[in-house]
Amino acid sequence: MSLVDRPFYSARPEWKDVEPLEQYENINPLAPILYTDEYKDATNYFRGVVRDGEKSERVLELTEHIIRLNPAHYSAWQYRYETLIALNSPLATELQLMDEIAVKHLKTYQVWHHRRLLLIQLRDPNPELKFIAQSLKADAKNYHTWSYRQWLLAYFNNDDLWSGELDFVDHMVNEDVRNNSAWHHRFFVVFQSGIRDSEKDRERVIKRELIYVKQSISLVPNNASAWNYLRGILDHNKLPYLTVQVFLEAYTLDTPPATGDIVDLENPPPSKEAQLPCPAAIELLADVHELQGAEGVGKAIDLWKSLRDIYDTIRKRYWDHRIKGASHREGV
Amino acid sequence: MAPTYTPTDAYPTSTSHIQRETEELLLKHLPLPRNDDTKALYLELHKTKHMQWLVRNLAQGFPARYVSQDASQPWLMFWTLQAFSILGVALDPGNKQRAIDTILTWQHPDGGFGGGPGQAAHLLPTYAAVCALAIAGRPGERGGWDQIDRAKMSQFFISLKQPDGSFLVARHAEVDMRGIYCLLAVATLLDLMTPELVDGTAEFVRSCQTYEGGFASASQPYFGEDGALLKSPKPPLGEAHGGYTFCALASWVLLQPMSDNKLDHINETNLLRWLVQMQGVEIELGGFKGRTNKLVDGCYSWWVGGAFALLEAIHGHHSSSSHDEEKHEDGDAGWVDVDESLFNREALQEYILLAGQHPAGGLRDKPPKSADAYHTLYCLAGLSAAQHRVFPSEHKSKELKSGWKGSDNSTRKKVFTEALCWQEDEAGPVFVGGKANRVNASHPLFNLTVTHSVAIMRYFYGQES
Repeated sequence: MSLVDRPFYSARPEWKDVEPLEQYENINPLAPILYTDEYKDATNYFRGVVRDGEKSERVLELTEHIIRLNPAHYSAWQYRYETLIALNSPLATELQLMDEIAVKHLKTYQVWHHRRLLLIQLRDPNPELKFIAQSLKADAKNYHTWSYRQWLLAYFNNDDLWSGELDFVDHMVNEDVRNNSAWHHRFFVVFQSGIRDSEKDRERVIKRELIYVKQSISLVPNNASAWNYLRGILDHNKLPYLTVQVFLEAYTLDTPPATGDIVDLENPPPSKEAQLPCPAAIELLADVHELQGAEGVGKAIDLWKSLRDIYDTIRKRYWDHRIKGASHREGV
Repeated sequence: MAPTYTPTDAYPTSTSHIQRETEELLLKHLPLPRNDDTKALYLELHKTKHMQWLVRNLAQGFPARYVSQDASQPWLMFWTLQAFSILGVALDPGNKQRAIDTILTWQHPDGGFGGGPGQAAHLLPTYAAVCALAIAGRPGERGGWDQIDRAKMSQFFISLKQPDGSFLVARHAEVDMRGIYCLLAVATLLDLMTPELVDGTAEFVRSCQTYEGGFASASQPYFGEDGALLKSPKPPLGEAHGGYTFCALASWVLLQPMSDNKLDHINETNLLRWLVQMQGVEIELGGFKGRTNKLVDGCYSWWVGGAFALLEAIHGHHSSSSHDEEKHEDGDAGWVDVDESLFNREALQEYILLAGQHPAGGLRDKPPKSADAYHTLYCLAGLSAAQHRVFPSEHKSKELKSGWKGSDNSTRKKVFTEALCWQEDEAGPVFVGGKANRVNASHPLFNLTVTHSVAIMRYFYGQES
């Protein structure tokens, strides 16, 4: 399928000086791809250009054409980048072109990496945040888009760039509280990329994050992303799991406890619509008990058994493994 | 009783919508009522159909929509050849020769392999091409093995090395865990592993483990004022992901013979937890997903299902090292027996058989998607991982060590023995749907059969009998 109505390179006089290079000349390849004529024509000329080492404006046209037909053609991207640099081409113009191409091919590694190369040269990261946010509207869990955002923040690492990030990620989590990419981004921003001035008071930050994730769990208890985030906070800051025991217990019951009028910010209860008990809460409560001597291990084993037999039967063998491991250590 | 839907807590979001849609679709592929007779009908592996599908691609070529794989031609070849191997089929000598001749056209004059003739060298197609040659090739003239330019390949590898121990996948390209794995697998197969090549690489791999327990695509290095690499922060870029986790874990295992035991360890407890959490529940037919709160997909049968065997290798390494009783800070002191039973093997086989097979041949992500070469291999490899237990055997390791010809204390010997001491547990296999569904075991580190792994490594390490 042709993208634009254009003659083949083989029919264009201005390409006459390039000898096209066929892909397979002397062999009958096994498992070939049945290309379109347009693709064959363009890549024959690309191979010819690479062989000759030509770097010129028309190479930019040719590589753009190939990229549009097959954005995963990494050699075309590589050669295009080297041509841009050799010609001293305006990279801001290239970035504009990329705005359009990226949206069409969000799932391709190369479109995002090419952007990185351009940004490293252009050194103007701030407008990128908006572009990325826009791209995430089309595909909210796109791996490349998120890691590009994280790279951008970490690589340029200026306060301006970081300043709106917590609000941004809060917005993304609110859009879809089950979006694990957004949760990971929150962890990246809060805990993993160095400490910025506004985040120096670690105790306050940890407290804030614990409340944030507990509130989220209370709204939607069966959300693995939030539970993993909670575990992440505890592990990363070396806080004992015991810290959250009181919070957990309500989520391990069959029905939400009667709450009355007291609002406990530290221990928000499950919502009225919550489908309880929540296996992730049972699992974490077992982890809490496991560290509390022989009696605790006994309680942990009961919880693991309930997961194995009732609440999370698919992972039967893993729960057996936990039971065996704990019994072995405690001699229970 | 029909399996229940994943709870939404009366709080729907786009994730729960698409999850519910998928569950409804998968439910239709669950034979009901689930009595043994009807189930057996559904649980047949359609070997002949898949074979025919693979042969068609090989002989007639891939249709035009595979243009998107034009830079992955070695992958199309590897996926197809390895799918044959897992199904227990070998190519005839004529087609083997065509395969070898085709693969050699992808070798770059400056070392490594590209995605097709005239394409730049890249770590991913280099792995695919070398593995395809392990299957189809042989020593000697036109055999493929002696035509691999190993010296130039080493130079190509070194040219991609980064200060944080990672590697670019190609010149001017990205750093990516898949590339690290591909490089280490090839370096192991072809006897190119050196301490200089992999200096700092294990530390890079470790830095990609996220708080969830799985691994990310890469991590971001920070450098001090003096230009020296900082130990921290080194934030992972991207969330824990099945494909990267397999690559990271396999890399970690491949790096063990090169390590001096002074490395920080990865957090095995969290890794194991994350891996088991990737298995979908009953209504997802027990398939694996690649990230938290994403959908099950047949390809993760290998990337996640296949990773359990690798965990076992790390454990084996611990127990055979002098740090036997050492307790690690990250809480993996409680590691007891890792056995074959950490994930639900039967359920994974059911997913592949019920949802992974396309009625017209070939395997797929999930219904109603069409089959493709990538999913065909990784569903079959996942089925293989679910059927067989392949583990690093102390016995086999001793055997290899005593049979080693050459310098006794070499790193090469360690690399060779640790890569090849994997053995199938003969008592272990579980065949859902009956023994007719048996497929061959695949080497957990390379995704080649053990026979192919042994043959190519014996040749390049000069250990042929």
